[in-house]
Amino acid sequence: MIDYLVAISIIVGIYAIFAIGLNLEWGFTGLINFGHVGFLAIGAYTTVLMNQSGAPIWLSMASGVVLAAFFGLLVGIPTLRLREDYLAIVTIGFSEIVRLFLLNEEWLTRGPMGLFGFDRPFEAVIPFDYNYFLFILVFGSLAVIYLLLEKLVHSPWGRVLKSIREDEDVASALGKDVFRYKIQALMIGSAIAGLAGAFLAFNLQYINPRNFIPMETFYAWIIVVLGGSARNKGTILGAIIVQSFYTGTRYIQDYVPLASHQMAALRVMVIGVLLVLLMMYKPQGLLGKKEELTLGQ
Amino acid sequence: MLQLIVNGIVLGSIIALAAIGLTMVYGVLNFANFSHADFMTFGAYIAFVLNVALGLNIILSFFIAVAIAGALGVLLDFLVWKPMRRKNADLVSLIIISIGLSLIVRNAIIFIWGGSTRNFDLPVQRGIEMLGVTITHNQLIGVGTAILFMVLVHFFLKKTKLGKAMRAISDDINLARISGIDSDKVIMWMWFIGIGLAGVAGILYGLETTIRPNMGWFLILPMFAAVILGGIGNPYGAMVGGMVIGLSQELSMLILPSEYKMGVSLGIMILVLLFKPRGLFGGTKT
Repeated sequence: MIDYLVAISIIVGIYAIFAIGLNLEWGFTGLINFGHVGFLAIGAYTTVLMNQSGAPIWLSMASGVVLAAFFGLLVGIPTLRLREDYLAIVTIGFSEIVRLFLLNEEWLTRGPMGLFGFDRPFEAVIPFDYNYFLFILVFGSLAVIYLLLEKLVHSPWGRVLKSIREDEDVASALGKDVFRYKIQALMIGSAIAGLAGAFLAFNLQYINPRNFIPMETFYAWIIVVLGGSARNKGTILGAIIVQSFYTGTRYIQDYVPLASHQMAALRVMVIGVLLVLLMMYKPQGLLGKKEELTLGQ
Repeated sequence: MLQLIVNGIVLGSIIALAAIGLTMVYGVLNFANFSHADFMTFGAYIAFVLNVALGLNIILSFFIAVAIAGALGVLLDFLVWKPMRRKNADLVSLIIISIGLSLIVRNAIIFIWGGSTRNFDLPVQRGIEMLGVTITHNQLIGVGTAILFMVLVHFFLKKTKLGKAMRAISDDINLARISGIDSDKVIMWMWFIGIGLAGVAGILYGLETTIRPNMGWFLILPMFAAVILGGIGNPYGAMVGGMVIGLSQELSMLILPSEYKMGVSLGIMILVLLFKPRGLFGGTKT
C-alpha cells in the first residue's frame, strides 16, 4: 500500500513540476504555450541520450534542462513580439515536430521502440527501494522550484510579468522591455519542463514518443487552470486532483460497461468540459484571486 | 512531380475551404479557434452515419451533414461564444475554451464511433490516367466541389447584404454596429457558414482519404498557416494561402521525408511571422 502511494505520489510530483513551469508562463505572464510537452520530451530524451553516450547522469540532466530552455528561446523569438495567439499556434506545431522527430529519427532515438537502459541518480548506492529515493528527489526538487518561483514572482521581476499579463502596453509604456521578460519566462518555464522530463524518464525507466502526445500539454493546462492561474500552491493542488481523477477513473473501469478506449475518451471529454466551464465561470480557479485577474471580464 | 502537384491541389483546395471559416472567425471575433478543424471531422462522421448506417445516398448525406455541422456552430455560439462576448472576455480565455471544445468534439467522436478508420459507401472507380498522373474520381469531385463552394462564398460576400455586413463587421465591428448592422445575427450566420464549410471540407477529405477521429486535428496547423499567410480575416487570402500550403506540403516530399510534411506549414508560418506578420494580402488584424 505504501509502495503504491509512493508510486502515485511520484507521478503527482512530476506533473506538478511540469505544470508549475506552465504556470509561470501562463499564470503569471499570460503566455499561451500549447506545446509544453515538447520541452518535457526534449528534457527526457536529452537526459537519456547523453547518459547512454557516457555522460554522468547529473550532467545529462543539466543538458536536458539547458536544451529545453534553449528551445524555449528559439520558439519565443519569432512569436513573442506578436499577438498572444501566435505563440499558441507555433508551440503546438513545435511540440508535434519534436514528437515526429523522435518517432522518425531512429538512428538517434530508436523511434517507436523507445529508449531504455540508463542510469538514475545514485541508483547504485541506494540501499533501499529506489522509488523512495525518487520520491524524495522529485518532491525535494518541487519544493526548491516552488520556493525559488515564489521568490521570483514576488520580486520586481515577477511584478513586471504580472503587469505584462494584465496589459502589456502599460508595461512597455513604463519602459519595460516586454519581449525580454516574456522570453525569460518562457525559457525558465521550458527549463522546468525539461527537468520534469528527466524525472519522467527516471520514473518510467523506458521512454518512447507515445509518452509525449499533445494531450500531456493539456493535462498541465487543466492542472494550472483548475488550481488557479498565478497560484503555485494551486498548481500543486491541481496536480493532486487531476491525478486522483485519473487513478480513480481507472478503478471504476471494472464496474462500468465501457470499453477502455471509451473510458479514455470520456476522461478527456471531462477535462475539456472542465476547461470550458472554468474559463467561462471561474477563470481564477480554486485558489486564485478574482480581484487580481482581469481574465474573462 | 506532376503527381505531387495534383495531390497538392486536392489537399490545398480542402485546406482552403476549411480555412475560410477559421479566418472569418479570427477576423470578426478576434481569436484563434483551435476547435475549427475538429468540426471537419464532425461533418465527415455525420455524413458517414447518414450514408453508411442509414443508407442515404451520398449527395443527400452531404447536404444534411453540412447543415448539421453549421447548426452545431450556431448552437455553440449561443452556449459559449455569445455569453463570452457579453462579458467582453479577452482573447486568451476564448483560445483556451476553443481547445477545450476541440478535446470534447474529438473524444466524443472516439467515444461513439471508436478510433478505427471508416469509409463512405461508394463504388470503387478506376482513376483517370493522363501524362503518367493518376487522378481519382474522388479527387476530381473534391476539387470541383471545393471550387464551387469557394465561388459561392465569393458571390455571398460580394453580392448579398449579409455577406457585405459580414465584411463590414470584420473590418470594424463597432463601426458596423453604429451603421445599424445587427452584429449578433451576422455573427450567428458567420458561424453557420464557417463551420458548415469546415463540414464540407471534412467530407471531401474523408472521400479523398479515410474518416478517422483525428483527421481534422492534423490539419489545424496547415489551416492556421493558410490563414496567417493570407492575412487574418481575409477569406480570399485564406483560399490562396490554403492552396499554397497544400502544394508546398506535397512538393516538400521531393526534398523531405513525408513524415515531416507538417513541418512545412510550421516553417512557412514562422517565416511569415518573422518577415510579413500581416500576411501576403493584408488581413484585418496583425
